[in-house]
This record gives sequence, structure tokens and C-alpha cells, in this order.
Amino acid sequence: MSLFSRTFMMLEQGLDYASLREKVIANNIANVDTPNYKAKEVRFRAELDRALQPLEAKRTNPKHLPFTRPMTNKFLVTSRTNVVYNHNGNNVDIDQEMSYLAENQIYYNALVEQLNGKFTTLKTVIKGGK
Amino acid sequence: MSIFQSLDITASALTAQRLRMDVISSNMANVDTTHARLVNGQWEPYRRKFVVMEPRQEGFSTYLQAAMNSRSSVGNGVKVTKIMEDQTPFKLVYDPSHPDADPNGYVRLPNVDPLKEMVDLMSATRSYEANVTVFNATKGMLMKALEIGK
Repeated sequence: MSLFSRTFMMLEQGLDYASLREKVIANNIANVDTPNYKAKEVRFRAELDRALQPLEAKRTNPKHLPFTRPMTNKFLVTSRTNVVYNHNGNNVDIDQEMSYLAENQIYYNALVEQLNGKFTTLKTVIKGGK
Repeated sequence: MSIFQSLDITASALTAQRLRMDVISSNMANVDTTHARLVNGQWEPYRRKFVVMEPRQEGFSTYLQAAMNSRSSVGNGVKVTKIMEDQTPFKLVYDPSHPDADPNGYVRLPNVDPLKEMVDLMSATRSYEANVTVFNATKGMLMKALEIGK
């Protein structure tokens, strides 16, 4: 039995997601006046794969390469191309981005608090409740 | 992918917006400048300038990795590629007493529209402020990250 439970890994993933999202939001707001810039967003790759139903090829020989490649990262950055707000082809919605920013910040802080809570619990256990 | 990348992205936007404001200041300052550039032995009025922005491109390796599906590209901020001159015609104003008036008494004035410049300035200021907010948010998150395990 490991000392660190799966919760740590999940929280870590959450932090990874939040920091990547922070970068994407920062980039969107940085390009708020750039013509033809399309806003980007972060998606969970697993969810996307499930939605897209990955194509499976029939392999008659074990040496055939599978269609799906091993994915090294869990997140995917995609461009939002279905909406246009500005006449110059830019589709960054500044109000939406600012609210994403606030939301992401709170989410990140909550994750850190949770992580610290887990560490405190571990510390209590190690010290035997002293 | 460094943790300071988002601060870098925001910094690039702040630089770009500040340059935009500088260009607007220059336009406003030269709203009445008739002696700006000597073209074929004749003085030309000041031409309105504006900046051209584009997303800062990542290097080849980023594109390669994105294509190989191992890492998706986030973007790298914004940059100003060039400062262009507005080619719209100059304003013609009848003022025979002006030293730069032509034989018919008309003076060519810069093609700067103060109203347009003010609207642009508002836009640049607001974008700058939005980016400062992003900077503070990122900074707060990084500081919070230092508290992990305390």
C-alpha cells in the first residue's frame, strides 16, 4: 500500500489542467486585438476521444500498426472556430475570457487547499495524532 | 513548458498595447504637422500611423510536436509585426495665410482623425488593463503554488 493515495495524482492532474488553462486564457486575452486570431480552449483528450469514437482498423496481422497512437498528454488545445464576434475575424470574447480567468483562479486555489489538506492529514497520521 | 510562460505571454501583450498607445500619442501630437517628410523636394504632411499585430509564432519544434500529437500548442503571446502608414488622402483646408498653402490657398493637413485616435486609445487602455488583471491572476496562482505542502 502506497503512502500517497490516488487523490494526490488526481489533484496533480487538476493543477496541470488549471495551469495549462491559465496559459491558454492569457494567450487569448493577449490576442484580443489581433486580427484573425481564433480563441483557444483546453479539452480533456479522453473525453474528446470518447466523443469522437476513435477509429479502429481491423488488423489481420499483429505487425499491422494500430490507428490510435499512444497519447502522452491528457489535454488538448483546440481553436474555437464556430463563432466570430469581430469584423476583423477575431473571436475572443473578452467578458467570457475574464470570467474563465476568475473561475480558473478559484479552481486552482481550491485544488491547492485540498492538496494541503491531504498533506495535513498525512502529517497527523505520521505523528500519531500528537 | 515553463510555469512562467503565461507571464511571458501577458508581458508580450502589455508591450504590444503600450506600443499601440505610443503610436496613438505620436498621431495625436502630429495632428497639425505639415512638414513631416521631404518627398521629391516637397514637404509632405504627417501620415497617420498604425500598428499591425499578429500572434507570436512558436518555433518549428512546437509545430512538429503538435503535428506528432505529443503536445498541443498553447500559443506564445502577441507581437507587433510592423508600423504602417495610413494611405488615405490628406485633409485639404482653405487657409491662404498658412506658409504651406498652395497657389490656390489650400493647405494639406495630416490624415489624423482625433476622434478615431481617442477610440483607439480607449481600446488600447482597456486591453492593457485586462492584461494587467491576467498578470495579477497568474502571479496569485504562482504564489499559491508555493504554499503547497506548507
